[in-house]
Amino acid sequence: MQFWRRRSLWLALSASSLLLTLLGFFPFLRLAVSPRPQPAAPQGWPRWLDTASLRSFSQPEEPPEDVPQPPQAPHGTSCSWGICFDTSRCRGDGLKVFAHAAAQPTSEMHRRILASLEGSRYHTRNLTEACLLFVLSPEDPDGQCGPAPQHWNGGRNHLVIRLHPDPCPQASQLGQAMVAQASPRVDTFRPGFDVALPLLPEAHPFRGGAPGQLQQHSPHPRAALLALAEEGGRWRTAGTYSSTCPWDGHCEQDLGPKQTRPEEKLPNATFCLIPGQRAEASRFLQALQAGCIPVLLSPHWELPFSEVIDWTKAAIVADKRLPLQVLAALQEMAPARVLALRQQTQFLWAAYFSSVEKVIHTTLEIIQDRILGASAHPSLLWNSPPGALLALSTFSRSPQDFPFYHLQQGSRPEGRFSALIWVGTSSQHPLKLIQAVAGSQHCAQILVLWSSEKPLPPKWPETTVPLTVMDGHRKVSDRFFPYSAISTDAILSLDAHSSLSTSEVDFAFVVWQSFPERMVGFLTWNHFWDETRSGWGYTAEMANEFSMVLTAAAFYHRYYHSLFTHSLPKALRTLADEAPACVDVLMNFLVAAATKLPPIKVPFSKQHQGAAPLAPRIPASGSQPQPPHQDCINRMVAEFGHMPLVSSRLRLDPVLFKDPVSVQRKKYRRLEKP
Amino acid sequence: MCASVKHSSRGPALIPRMKTKHRIYYVALFSVVLLGLLATGVFQFWPHSIEASGDWAVEKRSAAVPVVRLPRDSPVPERGDLSCRMHTCFDVYRCGFNPKNKIKVYIYSLKKYVDELGAPVSSTISREYNELLAAIADSDYYTDDISRACLFVPSIDLLSQHALRIRETAQALAQLSRWDRGTNHLLFNMLPGGPPDYNTALDVPRDRALLAGGGFSTWTYRQGYDVSIPVYSPLSAEVALPEKGPGPRRYFLLSSQMAIHPEYREEIEALQAKHGEAVLVLDKCTNLSEGVLSIRKRCHKHQVFDYPQVLQEATFCVVLRGARLGQAALSDVLQAGCVPVIIADSYILPFSEVLDWKRASVVVPEEKIADVYSILQSIPRRQMEEMQRQARWFWEAYFQSIKAIALATLQIINDRIYPYAAISYEEWNDPPAVKWSSVSNPLFLPLIPPQSQGFTAIVLTYDRVESLFRVITEVSKVPSLSKLLVVWNNQNKNPPEDSLWPKIRVPLKVVRTAENKLSNRFFPYDEIETEAVLAIDDDIIMLTSDELQFGYEVWREFPDRLVGYPGRLHLWDHEMNKWKYESEWTNEVSMVLTGAAFYHKYFNYLYTYKMPGDIKNWVDAHMNCEDIAMNFLVANVTGKAVIKVTPRKKFKCPECTAIDGLSLDQTHMVERSECINKFASVFGTMPLKVVEHRADPVLYKDDFPEKLKSFPNIGSL
Repeated sequence: MQFWRRRSLWLALSASSLLLTLLGFFPFLRLAVSPRPQPAAPQGWPRWLDTASLRSFSQPEEPPEDVPQPPQAPHGTSCSWGICFDTSRCRGDGLKVFAHAAAQPTSEMHRRILASLEGSRYHTRNLTEACLLFVLSPEDPDGQCGPAPQHWNGGRNHLVIRLHPDPCPQASQLGQAMVAQASPRVDTFRPGFDVALPLLPEAHPFRGGAPGQLQQHSPHPRAALLALAEEGGRWRTAGTYSSTCPWDGHCEQDLGPKQTRPEEKLPNATFCLIPGQRAEASRFLQALQAGCIPVLLSPHWELPFSEVIDWTKAAIVADKRLPLQVLAALQEMAPARVLALRQQTQFLWAAYFSSVEKVIHTTLEIIQDRILGASAHPSLLWNSPPGALLALSTFSRSPQDFPFYHLQQGSRPEGRFSALIWVGTSSQHPLKLIQAVAGSQHCAQILVLWSSEKPLPPKWPETTVPLTVMDGHRKVSDRFFPYSAISTDAILSLDAHSSLSTSEVDFAFVVWQSFPERMVGFLTWNHFWDETRSGWGYTAEMANEFSMVLTAAAFYHRYYHSLFTHSLPKALRTLADEAPACVDVLMNFLVAAATKLPPIKVPFSKQHQGAAPLAPRIPASGSQPQPPHQDCINRMVAEFGHMPLVSSRLRLDPVLFKDPVSVQRKKYRRLEKP
Repeated sequence: MCASVKHSSRGPALIPRMKTKHRIYYVALFSVVLLGLLATGVFQFWPHSIEASGDWAVEKRSAAVPVVRLPRDSPVPERGDLSCRMHTCFDVYRCGFNPKNKIKVYIYSLKKYVDELGAPVSSTISREYNELLAAIADSDYYTDDISRACLFVPSIDLLSQHALRIRETAQALAQLSRWDRGTNHLLFNMLPGGPPDYNTALDVPRDRALLAGGGFSTWTYRQGYDVSIPVYSPLSAEVALPEKGPGPRRYFLLSSQMAIHPEYREEIEALQAKHGEAVLVLDKCTNLSEGVLSIRKRCHKHQVFDYPQVLQEATFCVVLRGARLGQAALSDVLQAGCVPVIIADSYILPFSEVLDWKRASVVVPEEKIADVYSILQSIPRRQMEEMQRQARWFWEAYFQSIKAIALATLQIINDRIYPYAAISYEEWNDPPAVKWSSVSNPLFLPLIPPQSQGFTAIVLTYDRVESLFRVITEVSKVPSLSKLLVVWNNQNKNPPEDSLWPKIRVPLKVVRTAENKLSNRFFPYDEIETEAVLAIDDDIIMLTSDELQFGYEVWREFPDRLVGYPGRLHLWDHEMNKWKYESEWTNEVSMVLTGAAFYHKYFNYLYTYKMPGDIKNWVDAHMNCEDIAMNFLVANVTGKAVIKVTPRKKFKCPECTAIDGLSLDQTHMVERSECINKFASVFGTMPLKVVEHRADPVLYKDDFPEKLKSFPNIGSL
């Protein structure tokens, strides 16, 4: 019995020990041998067991006991906007720039720069109200940096313009002055304080400037892939399949060199390789103008206006040490990216670089943006057409308020319009017109701008929409003043003697909603080049083309009132006041310069044309002796620096316009009355 | 557990030597074995932590970390070189060619550094740095192969300079196996400097190493080389603040930081005195009972507020520099959707290389503190609301976790090395809602291509040779035609011999396809050299030369749109609750048929390679709706409507089944409606735009001599 007991105990004991050994051993074996990962899988950062017990890196901060450093004694290299620039001087009127008398023009380029400054809306001739003083550095590359001008004040609130890289050896000589320099060195450039300018060629035009060279959006399939900047200001194009290193001159024989002729200043290729030395910076503008995407090989200089321009959208900054990689990346770049880069070069060229005036105005706009702080241009306004010089930050900071950015913002223009009726000296009471306009379902308000000598009529028609009468100043340019009473995006500009039907107004407005950045009008003019007089002319004759719509009856965005009043040179507005017919031309110039597109014509019923013609204020023929105001188009071309008008050959009609279907099916049937 | 197993495994060997009488001993032994067995079983089957944490990496730090002793005279790196830039101090050769355009990052394994006397150089790794290294190791950037790496991250925790022994830490860096003057090494630091002068960058000498630092100033930051990062706030993980809608909040301006210099506090309190309720200035609480976390409470006089919740009650929140420029409060403020008012002269804002802080913050110079209120008052409401949304989005995307901070840092460096694959401004800055609703037109430049370029006509044909030849003859009369491309879609039949084709004045090319697919019409053939493409069916013989030429002129004015002749409309069917195709005479159009349409050749590329979802296959399988697909594609990518040109025509020819004849077929209509519904679901939206206009020549039907009109022959039936 005892034996049995012992026996069974023994058995049980040994069995369980065996089991225990087996069960217990394997987990330990596993721990010891297999927890290592397979060699192929990357071994990450270990999951430590003690993670939960780790302490945070942060500790409560003790308040600084000592007095905070007052703005560090400002010395050249350590200047930043908040420290070295006194914005309190710019309070009130914002930026006012005074050009130092010391800065007498010593060269043609200096003269252009000073003229650009004087044409700016920030310019002042009064030193006491200036908050920025403008100093031109001497042109002579090895000239002295010159004695400090009067009121130098350590350079505080001064802007020194240097058109050449490095005329003065040290930035610190300039104290607290901001330096706007062509192609500044990256390591001495003070971001947010200095301004990087483009390296301008001696013959850079004052105004307007040559348009971008790009004729088509996408590269031509047979166009060269690369152009290389060569010595002597030439470009050499290389075919698509030259595979080896195309720079440093090591492998010229591989390229099948196709020298461009020396007089050809602009490259014709998809990408332009530009070496990083500062001497080559002038190539950058050439490439930009040519629509050749700049590929900068480790540039040692700051790209122009880099503070506001997003150069990743228009250029590629590559590392010159990786030629094969860069080349492969260029060859394989997605068409969408190539397309976007190409177009951006053209937009930037035309918006900020094509003339001295644009470069100087952009410089001032950047400084104005710094002063404005929170209400400066958002990046979108700087980096998409028409550019920040044509999108006034004083108008609004919200891109949706402008006519240009609805696509990017995913927004739509408002569905209502304000009619602005201008009653001039000889006009009759716009009674019928008010009724026709008020009948439109899209009309939000009617504003009458009384600019006539006659007294205001006591009675106005009953309308369903609010009617406001404003007393004008008897000046034609008044009609484009940004009245605060205008509450909608769209304005229907009308003359008292215009005659429109509700149907026409409705259709034109629906069209405008598809093209909020353009003018949509009924009657048109066309401009033409007059060989005999070597000048521009314009005509109201019926033609197969048109480039202007009359503001006597046109829809456009209210932003153009702000642009007209605040951005046009005063000389042009005076010109319009002196010759009223010019105001239409001027408005069309302005919108075309911003959009680079023609206006839109919509159908206009014949019945009005006979009875009360829509403001045919100019003689029809170009061969008759020109009345003096006829020449306003040429004066405007001179002021704009180029001819912005673009012609169109189409008219937008309702879908079923004059189609042989029952008139009952047509939405705008009244448009077709004979 | 280890002990018990050991003990019991010796059991069987012991027992035989024992005397049998000791029953108690047996029982005891037996129970020990049983217990051991039980325990082992539990160990075996219990879901315990070792297995749950993955196959590898089960290490106790104290046991697994090797110790490195640093001799007193081991080398110290030089101080940071302020002139370093990517193309001078960074070795790109290590990054090499990389088809994915992703840098490879190596993390040095953890070591414990002690000085000659055996005293540790730094305290143990912080929770955040551990998290940061884990985040890198889990990302696509990580490699464990040191020889393939292009960027090296030491596991030496430098996040806070507070507890660091500067010289010894530098020595530890210098002895890393690939240190090489710090080239391609990335150091993370959030709290730089120390008393009394608090440098704005890490004081540890680091030679050429890149520094991702929180709190850089313009003096220490090497633009384009260093990366400015946020100071992580542990509250991001601890407190969940639900997103609050934009709009004005209870307090206009709030100051909630505790460590503010008394002089600045005075100025802010003066604001409060001036503007009353709108401004709230909080300080640390002095009389809280024990056990309440003081960093989670703020007080104003005797009123106690919860922090960071109180931030959600304010529209603008002051983020003032303390001893350091970078403040963790910035993260809390952004999280609360409060617009930060940053007052820290010369501070380089986090990720300023890519983030547009103007959209999310207001920066005010220190000497203007007194004007803060009026500066903020001048911000219009809409802009303020946008800033609130943007602030919250920045926190969600780049501040909320150590992982987000680490990945954004690596992305910035990656973008510098592979600039042609860089992320765009919009991708960095636009909140998802904006990304979703905005359209970036691929042909955004306002440009009217020169007329001289001309267009390429592409005729898709199967076997209607006679009709095809008539189309070719008609189209060849159009002045601006520059080339004609016939896409021969019939694999069973050869195209007619060369001599049989009509003789025309422009080059004519025949392309044979491998399969009879409708998509062949939209293939980006190399033969297309002009930007303008006219797609035309082999039975469209009713369009006059004037009409086609005018169509091309219209396309030149709208090169980013589909410009076509027959127009169609989509309608919402309220009964069926789905889209319906409409070909009747309507006052509106939203599509044009590509049986006769001009468009930019880029859309061929998009159609062939970038069509979303399975639309392309669907079209080829159904042999229908390729035109609707093209309309969807163009409208979606440009956000613009089509342009229908010239009056409606009877698109019928006596010999062939015309488009309209086909369209009127009931089943056909049902199928087209189905296409619209299918495509709308694939695109996730209805991109088509409805318009009420069409394009006619300026003088169309005007009272004007016909022979003086540029396009007299338009609209004739």
